[in-house]
Amino acid sequence: MNTATQILVSGLTLGAMYAISTVSLSLVWGALNLLNMAQGAMLTLGGYFAYATVASLGFPPVIAVFITVALGALVGLVIYFSVIRQMLDTEGFEVNVIIATVGIGTVIENLMLKIFGAYPIRQPIMWEGGFFIGRTHVPYNSVVIVVASVFLMLVLAAILTRTRMGRAIRAVSQNREAAQLMGVPVQLVYAQVLLFAGALSAASGMMLSTITTLSPTMGYDPMLKAFIICVIAGLGNIAGALYAAFLLGVFEALVQFLFGVRFAFPAMLLLVILALIWRPYGVFGRRRVSRQ
Amino acid sequence: MTPARKDLLIGALLLAVAIVTPLFLSGRYVIGQLTLFFIWATIVTQWNLVFGVAGIFSLAQLALFALGGYSTAMLGLYFNWNLWAALPIGGLAAVVLSLVIGLACLRLRGPYVALLTLAISQVMYLLIITDTACFYMEGVTCRNFTGGTRGFAKYGDFGFRELLGYKYMAHGDYYLALVVLALATTFSIFVIHSPLGAAFQALRDNPEYARSRGISRFKFQMLVFASSAFFTGLAGGVYSGYYKVMGANTLYTSLLLFLLAMMVIGGLGQTWGPLLGAAALMLADEALKDYPDYRAMGVGAALVVFILLWPKGIAGGISALFDRLKPAGSNLPKSLALRAKNNSRRSNAGP
Repeated sequence: MNTATQILVSGLTLGAMYAISTVSLSLVWGALNLLNMAQGAMLTLGGYFAYATVASLGFPPVIAVFITVALGALVGLVIYFSVIRQMLDTEGFEVNVIIATVGIGTVIENLMLKIFGAYPIRQPIMWEGGFFIGRTHVPYNSVVIVVASVFLMLVLAAILTRTRMGRAIRAVSQNREAAQLMGVPVQLVYAQVLLFAGALSAASGMMLSTITTLSPTMGYDPMLKAFIICVIAGLGNIAGALYAAFLLGVFEALVQFLFGVRFAFPAMLLLVILALIWRPYGVFGRRRVSRQ
Repeated sequence: MTPARKDLLIGALLLAVAIVTPLFLSGRYVIGQLTLFFIWATIVTQWNLVFGVAGIFSLAQLALFALGGYSTAMLGLYFNWNLWAALPIGGLAAVVLSLVIGLACLRLRGPYVALLTLAISQVMYLLIITDTACFYMEGVTCRNFTGGTRGFAKYGDFGFRELLGYKYMAHGDYYLALVVLALATTFSIFVIHSPLGAAFQALRDNPEYARSRGISRFKFQMLVFASSAFFTGLAGGVYSGYYKVMGANTLYTSLLLFLLAMMVIGGLGQTWGPLLGAAALMLADEALKDYPDYRAMGVGAALVVFILLWPKGIAGGISALFDRLKPAGSNLPKSLALRAKNNSRRSNAGP
């Protein structure tokens, strides 16, 4: 019983980490058909923004959270206007943009390394303390992350399905030409998506760093896991990503307990490949999404 | 002259230059760097075939390279094989891995291939560096089956020291790496100008029509992926025999990025792109040797700038320059060019 609680708690915490790393990746991919390989670096950036505003500039944590999210949104816009916008409608966009974002990610990661150094830093914005379920210690921080990740996903889903802007984003993601012909301002929609993605990544990175500690490469591993979750959930399927993140988190905790930590990621990868063979449009995908 | 002949001629000239270069350069460091250049260039020419020509967005190229190196080293260490015998096995091991990856990924679309292949190489890296189980004891220290974080050493080499003496042992590795590069480049010229290359061009330009004429993308992609993996694995074997240590540093993301930048900056899909790109990046890296902090940042920035402004890379720029230098009309087929000439003559002769 105790072991089961322990696995469940650590699995849910992992799941929450994956969920928050996946939201903005899934949004950008689903809406723009753009695989953002700078996602890991954007998460890292969020963590360091939060650290710098509290530790170096001395803002109280509550205000620092808002500053971090605003800075993240700004980064998203800068990436859109400086690089992605120039590449839209060019030949081989889908592949070239992956290479470009790999480059952006590298630059950001090495800038962080240059400014903050390679040593891991503790994130100052976090909820201290915890409580017990049986004999399992549950940190408040994990609870906050689980709640926040579900909340962010719900807000995003509400924006996408209930607002005019969300309708425009979905229209562009389904058929860009048709949306443009109907008078949807495609460029503006793209800018909005990257603004949201930047803000969400910053928030996710901040929460992520409370568990993993800050380091210039902290975003890389969650990014890879987020890719896998996106693949399992189906392209741009945000609700599916939420389920998949928590299921994979618990799965990973289970594999870690049964076979050891080192087999967690290989097992996840195997699961993805099987999932792709079994249901090529994603386990939670309702509409058929082409991966071919 | 057909384009294939032209490329083979350029290749032969470059090979001749590379063969005589050690006669004029004596520095060990330079010979070593050139050897490394040949190894990277081999990987990048094959990656270019996979990525630039066949359109498979694979990021597992280093995994294939590392597997070739690891197989060669492990055969030498565990079975006391001569590395010359182990070298082709390293190539074949890479082929087997490429077939597995291909079966799992190649039916998917570009971005999915990219992230699954990236995940596969990351899994390989993690499995190696987290390996702590004792496989055998060396004195009192415990050694892992995959070498763990320490990697492998003392598994033998190609025996150039005994063969050529201490003074010329570096030349042995130099020429071995050159031979592998020459084979790999010949193979890539062959693929680019063969019906296979034409098939990929057709699949890119008009996929529906190409498919309706019976061209199977999956089959052709597998063919290119597997055969290029052989040369990539060979390069891995040469690397392990040359360095005499083999470790997980061959799977670092920074190295993957360095090679990706070579391919992109040289020119994706262009015959001579990989060589130009590898040369450019090695020179730039040499120039930044005193500023190690900016190396990776420079690679990242160069990737963005090139893909934005010059997506055809250095090779594309050079061929555009040649096209401009050629007299007008020389790009047209012969009959058309002749007609254009006659027309101009006629108009000149007119009243």
